[in-house]
Amino acid sequence: MKTPLFGAFGPPKPNQHTLGAMQHVDVRMRRYRTDEEVDYCIVGVGAAGGVLIQRLARAGFKVVGLEAGPFWDTERDWVSDEAGSHKLYWTEPRVIGGRDPLALGANNSGRGVGGGSVHWAAFTPRFHPSDFRVHSEDGVGVDWPMSYDELKPYYELLELEMPVAGPAYFPWGHPHGYAYGPHPMGGVGDILIKGCTKLGIRVSAGGPVAILSGSHGDRPHCIYRGFCIQGCKVGAKQSTLISHVPDAIKNGAEIRDNCMVARVNLGKNGRVTGVTYFDPDGRECEQRSKAVIVCGYAIETPRLLLNSACPGFEKGLANSSGTLGHYLMAQAGNVILGRFDELVRMYKAPPAHALTEEFYETDSRRDFARGFAIQTVGPLPISFAKQMMVAKGAWGWGMRKVMMDYNHWAALGLLGEILPWHDNRVELSEEKDKHGIPVAKVTFNLHDNDKKLIEYGKNKVMEVMWAAGAEDVVQEPRYAHLVGASRMGSDPSKSVVDKFGRTHDISNLFVCDGSILPTQGSANPGLTIQALAARTADYLISQGDDVFTSSSRSMERPPVRKNLSPPGTWGKGVPRLT
Amino acid sequence: MIKPDILGTFARSHVIRGGGEIAEHVREGRFQRSLALIAGLSSILSGLEASYEHYRGSYSRRVMYTPLIASAALLGAGVWAFKSRKAARTVLPVVSVLSLADGVIGFYFHVRGIQRKPGGWRLPIVNMIMGPPVFAPLLFGISAYLGIVAYYLRREDDPEEQTMPRPAHAHSWAKYLPGKIEHENISWRQDLREGRFQKHMAAATVVWSFFSGFEAWYSHYKNNFRYKMQWTPVVIAPMLMAAGVGAIKSRKVAHTWLPAVSALAIADGSLGFYYHARGVLRRPGGAKLALYNIIYGPPVFAPLLFAACGFVGLLASLLRRESR
Amino acid sequence: MSNLKLASDLKAANSKLPIDPATGKPLAPKAQPGYYPGFSTLGQKDFWDDATRKLIIQRVEEVPPIRFFRPEEVDLLKAVCDRILPQDDRDGAHKIPIVNGIDQRLYDNRMDGYRYEKMPPDGEAHRLGLQAIEAIAHQMYGKPFVELGSLEQDTVLKTLHDGKPPAGQDVWARMPVNRYWMLLVQDVLEVYYAHPWAWDEIGFGGPAYPRAYIRLENGEPEPWEVDERRYAWKAPENSLSGKNELISGTSEHGATPGQGGTH
Repeated sequence: MKTPLFGAFGPPKPNQHTLGAMQHVDVRMRRYRTDEEVDYCIVGVGAAGGVLIQRLARAGFKVVGLEAGPFWDTERDWVSDEAGSHKLYWTEPRVIGGRDPLALGANNSGRGVGGGSVHWAAFTPRFHPSDFRVHSEDGVGVDWPMSYDELKPYYELLELEMPVAGPAYFPWGHPHGYAYGPHPMGGVGDILIKGCTKLGIRVSAGGPVAILSGSHGDRPHCIYRGFCIQGCKVGAKQSTLISHVPDAIKNGAEIRDNCMVARVNLGKNGRVTGVTYFDPDGRECEQRSKAVIVCGYAIETPRLLLNSACPGFEKGLANSSGTLGHYLMAQAGNVILGRFDELVRMYKAPPAHALTEEFYETDSRRDFARGFAIQTVGPLPISFAKQMMVAKGAWGWGMRKVMMDYNHWAALGLLGEILPWHDNRVELSEEKDKHGIPVAKVTFNLHDNDKKLIEYGKNKVMEVMWAAGAEDVVQEPRYAHLVGASRMGSDPSKSVVDKFGRTHDISNLFVCDGSILPTQGSANPGLTIQALAARTADYLISQGDDVFTSSSRSMERPPVRKNLSPPGTWGKGVPRLT
Repeated sequence: MIKPDILGTFARSHVIRGGGEIAEHVREGRFQRSLALIAGLSSILSGLEASYEHYRGSYSRRVMYTPLIASAALLGAGVWAFKSRKAARTVLPVVSVLSLADGVIGFYFHVRGIQRKPGGWRLPIVNMIMGPPVFAPLLFGISAYLGIVAYYLRREDDPEEQTMPRPAHAHSWAKYLPGKIEHENISWRQDLREGRFQKHMAAATVVWSFFSGFEAWYSHYKNNFRYKMQWTPVVIAPMLMAAGVGAIKSRKVAHTWLPAVSALAIADGSLGFYYHARGVLRRPGGAKLALYNIIYGPPVFAPLLFAACGFVGLLASLLRRESR
Repeated sequence: MSNLKLASDLKAANSKLPIDPATGKPLAPKAQPGYYPGFSTLGQKDFWDDATRKLIIQRVEEVPPIRFFRPEEVDLLKAVCDRILPQDDRDGAHKIPIVNGIDQRLYDNRMDGYRYEKMPPDGEAHRLGLQAIEAIAHQMYGKPFVELGSLEQDTVLKTLHDGKPPAGQDVWARMPVNRYWMLLVQDVLEVYYAHPWAWDEIGFGGPAYPRAYIRLENGEPEPWEVDERRYAWKAPENSLSGKNELISGTSEHGATPGQGGTH
């Protein structure tokens, strides 16, 4: 066939704001007047903000979400192309430094409704119970102010709402199973399985990933095209844009896109009164609200709070502890590349489709604390060429030659836990963005434990690659994900927020995103971020108007509300183990 | 669905009476017990196949559980009908008809599922291969079809002389049909009872070998025909269809080509079963990821469903031709 | 005389071509180098969605004008790009325009979302880098970079790759050599490997929506892809980039650009 039946595929139907191949929002979004005080103002409608706004709207609150990037029209704005997807990433200026500067942008920062969940690879392992007790068990990092058991119901809930596809039995951490079945393997997954099997390492095939392995309401099954991190036009990969935002709009939430929040405003009574933001035309506006939730992720959240410094909070809003911006974490994300005699064609299938967490926990036989995971990755040509530049030093004819072998290479990713350190931080730079707001300066240094872990982990992944039959193995050091910098804890002098995301300093200011994570394990943080958002929502709903009026701080665990899930969550998939 | 050992059971149960007697029973339509059992046991294959194929689709709709329930019910009904004449005339037809209906409903959902994939039916090959297998639900109808045929047959231990038709029972559903159709109905039922349905069975062979051959073609095409053996079902299926068509037209073909090609299909299906099982074990992770590899390796039971078409053809060749 | 000149021109041109190791002779330029002869991603464009098709066709058919670089910078950058990613094995009609792509990025101020604190903004870094390259060429050969032979040009660039530039110290005081080198190489790669002709060369399937793949495993080609047909070739004699050696400083954890999120 030279063309599809009836000729080339045409443009999408006019006047349809599509959210994936079949989904479109057919209700008008509610609009609040700018002088109207709403209940909640959410800054950043990304992974956490998307879940939060959906739940608060469903519970009947007046809620406005302000998003710095656009409200994506997946059919028209997104392309099935690596270079053309640049706009999905946070490309506003930021400055990086330290001994081991963290690359940002495409690497870890999203922009637009859905945020990073639009371009994540969608691996969704849970954190292990030990991640919540790192200091007690291993004497490093810090303990969480909550246990795994407190988050578990939300893991289970979000795994159904996304939904997550994976094996019926996932043996690591707290063993559990997934309602949606595993995905088929691509070439890279086969190589991970071959290598691991040969070395006697258990491996999880086909998940856990937040990519549909069966249709889910209007969202079709994955088509295995390998463009996950360019935004899933299919609608098979979960982003909050697809899974939660439509329901938020149907329940009366307003999302204002292309609105960059400049500062959170503090009233005379020590409570926040709303935010000041730049609208799409660059005009400065104010949105008043009874409470503010900052969901800007690990760099923009501390940047906003630091930029909101005011009398009484000279070091930054809610920063009486001085820890705001500190304890920023990334995970070691070395990419190990192996060349095989036979063809692999790693551009097919989602980059994320198999992993092992066999080395996740601390092992006393190793000379470092904590551990790492090994995951499939599937770089497309531009990313792969850049990896070859670093891993082989290739340029010129050497680059052309190694690129002609693109289809012979496979890539595995190390995902190693880097511990929270005080000197890894987000500060304000002298430089300003187009609105005149000081940009973030991110400083990052690896410490002894991190270096040992990376060295060991990298060698282990290389061992797996060799065992799978590679004839040449090289690696590119890099980092993946960002969390921390606005950490949660029970001690107000050592953390920014409490275990429900409420800032210790201001009772109607909350932070809900990856920045509140005290430690990060070696699991991809996406699921945990969304689960924490659902939990914070339950807390806020159970507190009712107290959040707006009282400065008392209940620490009571809220009931798990299953009736707030988007419609179509229940009654799908197979019954789960545990 | 002739898993070889099922055939064995079939043969062994009659071994005392001798092979000639089996053929005689078949000729005379006196094999209700055996066919009921075969229908029941073969539905296990369908059920297993559907269970893991639907697990690949994550059981994202509750209706995806129905073929599992149907195949379990048909297994129960088949075994019960093997033991009880009454069950063969009550439970078996009801369950069989429901199973067949489920297959048709499944066919609808599969056609719709392909339409709902990106590109829909405008990308027929890609979406048939990567979407729900379009003819699989109908293929699973084979067991149900055999169950329905078994309902009309006589039991092995029925007296030989009882070849005259009984009038339709007063409580038969046939009484709801208009007169002409009722007459026709009784007439073909009579043929069935007497084992005179060779052409009918040959036609069934044609239809099912088309479904099965088509499934084999695109599944093997998906795999780029990596192994030469993957061509065999694609070649044999049209041969079987041709032999079936020939058998409808000619008694001679029904007694020569049809059994020969049917036997070939059975042999090929059995060999395919072996290759598919071996393919599962040869996948990365092999037996250590047995469950995963069964789900995503070559479908273990699919070749046996192909062999089942051969079995239907073989059965057709043993029957007598219709009286009309 | 003119014949001699022609012959020497031919020899100079040939010396830039990749070589067949079996015969030692240069391989003639092709419309489509690589191991997938006949493979065309653009031939599949009817199977792509509308937004993607428009973008890719525009990329091929509408080469952006030069708006950021000055004319003398363009010539120099073009000569540099011709060595960073040589296209001498491509025939004249099938060379991928690289400088225009880099120019467009800098003109549109399309940034990666971060800047190393020791680096100037990308546009300025490119300008400074070109100055330094020119200075190195003069220092080593007493001639402008564009007038050098390909081997000499490679030698100049290799000093950046190795982190040991013999000149341009005023520039290197303002930005680390290896960071500039990686910025330059990355920008070239981003343009070249975004082009459908490059996809055809390396056997990448290109855009894949709504039609995606049916053969995920074992490197099997799709029905519309082609089988690999390898041929042996090695880098021209007059080149230094055929051997891969690590960039200086990249063994450090922090030296990586780590672009293109992977997990």
